[in-house]
Parts: sequence; C-alpha cells; structure tokens
Amino acid sequence: MTLAQGSIGNSYIVESISNQDDELTDFLFTLGCYAGERISLISQISGNLVISIRDGRYNIDKNLAELIQVIE
Amino acid sequence: MKNKEIRIALTGNPNSGKTTLYNALTGKNERAGNWAGVTVDKRESALKNTYAAGNKVIAIDLPGAYSMSPFTSEESITSDYVKNAEIDVLVNIIDATNLSRSMFFTTQLLELGIPVVIALNKSDINSKKETIIDIEKLSKQMNCPVVSTISTSGTGLQELVKNAIAVVGITQKAPYTQAKINLADKQEVVVADRQRFSFVNSIVSTVETRKVLTSDKNSQDKLDSVLAHKWLGIPIFAVVMWGVFSISQTYLGPYIADYLVGYIESFGAYVGTLVEGASPFLQSLLIDGIIGGVGAVVGFLPLVMVMYFLIALLEDCGYMARVAVVMDRFFKKVGLSGKSIIPMIIGTGCAIPGIMASRTIKNERERRTTAMLTPFMPCGAKLPVIALFAGVFFEDASWVGTSMYFLGIALIILGALLTQKITGTKYRKSFFIMELPEYKMPSIKAATLSMLDRAKSFIIKAGTIILLCNAIIQIMQSFNWQLELVAEGAEQSSILASIASPFALLFVPLGFGVWQLAAAAITGFIAKENVVGTLAVVYGITNFIDTEEKVLVGGSSDVASVMGLSAVAALAYLIFNLFTPPCFAAIGAMNSEMQSKKWLIGGVSLQLGVGYVAAFIVYQVGTLFTTGTLGDGFFFGLVIVVVLLSIVGYLIHKGNKSIKDTSLNKY
Repeated sequence: MTLAQGSIGNSYIVESISNQDDELTDFLFTLGCYAGERISLISQISGNLVISIRDGRYNIDKNLAELIQVIE
Repeated sequence: MKNKEIRIALTGNPNSGKTTLYNALTGKNERAGNWAGVTVDKRESALKNTYAAGNKVIAIDLPGAYSMSPFTSEESITSDYVKNAEIDVLVNIIDATNLSRSMFFTTQLLELGIPVVIALNKSDINSKKETIIDIEKLSKQMNCPVVSTISTSGTGLQELVKNAIAVVGITQKAPYTQAKINLADKQEVVVADRQRFSFVNSIVSTVETRKVLTSDKNSQDKLDSVLAHKWLGIPIFAVVMWGVFSISQTYLGPYIADYLVGYIESFGAYVGTLVEGASPFLQSLLIDGIIGGVGAVVGFLPLVMVMYFLIALLEDCGYMARVAVVMDRFFKKVGLSGKSIIPMIIGTGCAIPGIMASRTIKNERERRTTAMLTPFMPCGAKLPVIALFAGVFFEDASWVGTSMYFLGIALIILGALLTQKITGTKYRKSFFIMELPEYKMPSIKAATLSMLDRAKSFIIKAGTIILLCNAIIQIMQSFNWQLELVAEGAEQSSILASIASPFALLFVPLGFGVWQLAAAAITGFIAKENVVGTLAVVYGITNFIDTEEKVLVGGSSDVASVMGLSAVAALAYLIFNLFTPPCFAAIGAMNSEMQSKKWLIGGVSLQLGVGYVAAFIVYQVGTLFTTGTLGDGFFFGLVIVVVLLSIVGYLIHKGNKSIKDTSLNKY
C-alpha cells in the first residue's frame, strides 16, 4: 500500500519509493526516507500529511504520499 | 598563526541555525528564519573580536545542505564552495534535535581532510525534552571537537571558536570512508549512501538517549490542528495579520509617531527661522521640499518599525511554515506550490529578498511566476502609503492594511492563474514537502535587531533617494519651462504639472485624474515611499499623522479635502499604488532571478495592468454603489483595460515560448 492509504497514528516501514523524479527520490533519501526505514503518520492538516522520519517532522502532500510504498 | 587569516565555513542542514550563529559571531544582521531555505547565497564577514581573540578570523555563512551531492541550487553553492575554496576550518552546525539526519552530511564533511568542529546547536530544546547526547563519546567517534551551542543566546560560541582556531592546520581523519565506487553508477551510489546511513545510525544509537520520541503526538500537533486547519487556517491567519496591522497602524505605531512628527515639525520651523532672509524659492525648497517631503516619509517610521518587529516575531515562532501548509492547496490549483509562499512571506518585509528567495524553486516557470508575483505583497515601503490613506480617508486604519494584504494574496493567485492559462502550461504533478519547525518562543532580541536594521535602511533610503526625488519634485513644481518661478495659483504651468498632466488623463477612469496625484504615483515607481513624499510636497502638507486625536475620531478631513478625493477614489488610488511595480530595485531583482527579458517585460506589464485594472474596478464599481452612477471616464477606461489585457497576454505568451526553447536546450 502507499503511505497515502495509511492510517494516522501508525508507523510503517518504507518498502520502496516510486521513482517519478530522481532529484525528489534523492532528496527524500537525505532526509532518511528510503526502503527499510521507519516512517510515522502523525496527523493530517489542511489535506496534507504530517509525518516523522528519523527525528524530523515534515508536511507532505498526498501526491508525494502516494509515491511512498509502505508495509506495516 | 597570529597574522594569517583563518577562514571558517559554517555548514549544516537547512534550519539548523547557521545564520543565527553567523550573526552572533560577526555582529551582522543577516536575515535568519525559522524555516529551511532563507539563506540562498554565501556571505562572509570578520568575527567580532570578543570571539576572535586577536586572531583574524573570517566566518562564511553557506546555504543549508542535507548532503554533499547537491539536489538544489543552494546546496550546490555549498558543496562547490566547500570543495574548492580555501577553507581552514569547517564548522558543522548540527541540529541536535535531529542528530540522525544531520550526521549524514557530517560524515561527508569529515572525509574532505579539512579540520571539522561540530557545533551541537539547539541544545536547549534537547534539554527541555530530556534528550541526552554524550558529547565526549561523539567527539571521540568523529575524531573532531564537539561543542554544545545555543546560537540564539550565544551560549558555547566562545568555546566553539577557540576549538576552531585550535584545529587549524590539522588534517582531518575521517571516521567513515566511502568505499571506492563508480559515482556515475546510480545503483552503486545508493548502496554506498545506505552504508553511510547505517554507520550514522550505529553512532547515534550509542551517543543519544531520548525520552520523547519525535513520532509521539504532542502539544505541537494540537496547535497545528488548529492553526493549520483546513478551513480555520485562513481566518486565523487573517486575524493574526489584522493584529499586526492594528498594533502597528492604529495603536502603538501612531502613538510613537505623534512624538516623532512633533519633533520633525519643530525642526522644520527652527530651520525656517534660520533661513528667513534667503530667497523664497530656496526657503521652500529646503522647508517644504526637503524637510517636508522627507519628514512626511520619516514620520511613518515608527509604524514601519512596529510592523517589522511583529513580523519578525511571527517568523521566528514557527507559525509561517504552517501558513505555507495552509496555502499550499490554493497555490497548487494555479500552478504554484507552497514553496512559492516563502518568497511571498519574506516579501512582506521587502520585495527584493522575497524575489531572491524564489531561487529555491526548481521549476523554471514556477520560479519566474513567483518572482513576478512576489511584489504584490505589501512591503515596508508601501506601509506609509497604506497608513496615510487609511488614516486620512478611513476611520479604522487596521482593516485597510489587512484587506490590502489579502487582496495582495488574491491578486497573486489570480496572476498565477492568468500566467498559467496564457502560457498554456499543461498540468504538472507537483510534490510538496516542507519541514515543520517546532513552535518556540520568539526571540525579542532577534526581532529588535531585525527591526533596527530595517529602520536603518529606511532612514538611509529617506535621506538619499527620497530626499533627491523630493528636491527634484519641488524644483519641477516651482519652475515653468521658461525657467521662471511659477506664480501662486498658476501651478498648472509648472514643469511638473505639464509632465504629469497627460498621465493624469489616463487616471481619470480610476478616479484620480489630477496631475498632483499622477506625479506622486509616477515617482512611486522609483521607490514607493515617494508617493507619500511627493504628496507632501505638491500639496504642501507636512503633517500626515495628526498630532491631535483627529485621526482616530473623524478622519483628518483637512488632508482629505485638500486632495479632493472621494473615499472610493482614495481606495482606488491606494490599490493602484500598491499593486503596480514597487520600485526600481525590485524590478532589478526580478530581472536577475527571471533571467529573461521577455519575462521581465511581461511581469512588469502584468503588474502595471493588474494595478490599473484593479483600481478601475474598485473606483467604477464603488462609485456605482455609493452614488448610483458610473464614475468619470468609464468607457475610456474600459477601452484601456481591454487593450492592456491583450498586450499583457501577448507579451507573456511570447515569454512562454522562450521558456519552452530554453527547457528544450536543458534536457
């Protein structure tokens, strides 16, 4: 499933990132968002998702969440 | 060692506090913000002697980067600089609250051979959350000194600099060295980077103990769910901005301004007594033109300062990042993203750094559109104009400012939509990711410094370009083309009147077709404060901020009657001035960020067109509502509006073609 389908309050393991844009994938990598890493869905604000990767909090939109394949 | 210059580069992730640290070390006052991407270029300065301790030390502030492999243009500035420039020490500023992400970049820096000192910044937030980092262990494992710092209060900076000076000349030993790989092979790089991350993870797990996990819900989330709420977000933002305008323009600002204006008036009167014997022309040039015009602008300084102070507080507390989240939805619909909001928020202070901040946007069309639309935000120079009209024509000053602010945002969205439609850009899926900084108590000290710095440039501007413009205006209105002094009552024959009158004709459909107002609007293109200065000169008014309570109760009717404008026409005039190009300097900044003459011409035309059309609509519709008939020159204006729209459309269309060409070359 994609992160966009995940439920708030859960944490997931990133399975893969659908590569739409090399730069974006690389950027996510430097934040620590890549296959095997943990990602938590914290809340939803203004239609966007608040996630935590490592010890950072980010706001991402649904388009981006749909690119991130996760498993429980 | 004593005589050699030591060059220290400050590097680290975005929003780790590099610029705040740089300002503390050098005594400079560069713009810092509690979000990623405020610094877009490098800058350097000598260290204050309290830190340098007799050595000649230069600090270099670099844009934030997450990695040595550059993904954004600011990041490539950083990695190119670190690799190629002569640097003696790298100070790596780590956001101690996110050690595991920051250290990826740290391990890359440690491989360069240049001595590294780690500044574990924001250590105060860590102690609040009871996160403990074993500094000694970290230092041993990284083979470099680690100093705990709080850049907002200056804690630990002495020790940081001392350590940095001590390691000069040492060859850095890397704790982790990347295996030899083929950098062109994407797969190999990914594998190597993952190995690096697992090394970082192993270090972090031995040095860091956390009580509170970042993934836990906390009070910040509760605040977010209100402040960045889907529907409440914008009304809350409106209330916040109303508060800013209300405090700066209705309460605190004018209160202080009263005193200032009093001093300026008595200064003018005093100078008047000194030059009593001089020729009447020279007297009026000095008293009415220079002191009156500049004084009218400077009188608004307290209002501008209070606004700058409040906006600095808002930026520092972390709220602005939430505003970007709220606006993302709307901006996406018109082909921009939340990324465009940061330049616009910065543009509230001054359009020029705002336009420069558009550099962080990768997509060329988005970047150019943002640079073009950022000047619609009401900047500090526009504030005196807003305050003047709000005070003179509308009893309550704060709704005028707030509504102009949101009208600016609405025009930006409209302008973006127009650009998108005209350029015929196809739907492009955009992705939005933005770090959410933690809310914190804003620093009063930083806000004060930022306010004083801006006040300084406001005064410098008033004393140079505004003064010069006012003197020229005064001369032009004193003489006719035969270079004879214009007689009292025959102002129509002055050079100024004859130049401004043809323009005034154009403004008849907007409700302000008199040469005095036209002249003020035209000088406003050079710098917006000129509008106030020129009005003071051409109408011979020195005091725009009434020293009595008159402004608050009935509107200062004397100033209003001198200008002879209805409230609707005054609003149209205000709108025209706010949404036409802000100043020459901003146009210059647009030029350098857009890198395209066609876009620049298109952009300036769009601004002129939007200002004209918006003022036309406000005046005509407003007059229809208030008097039941259309305003003067409706059909004439309608023709101009239609012609303008087609010209602007045509020019931007041409600009779009050039974009397509350049993007073809690029890929």
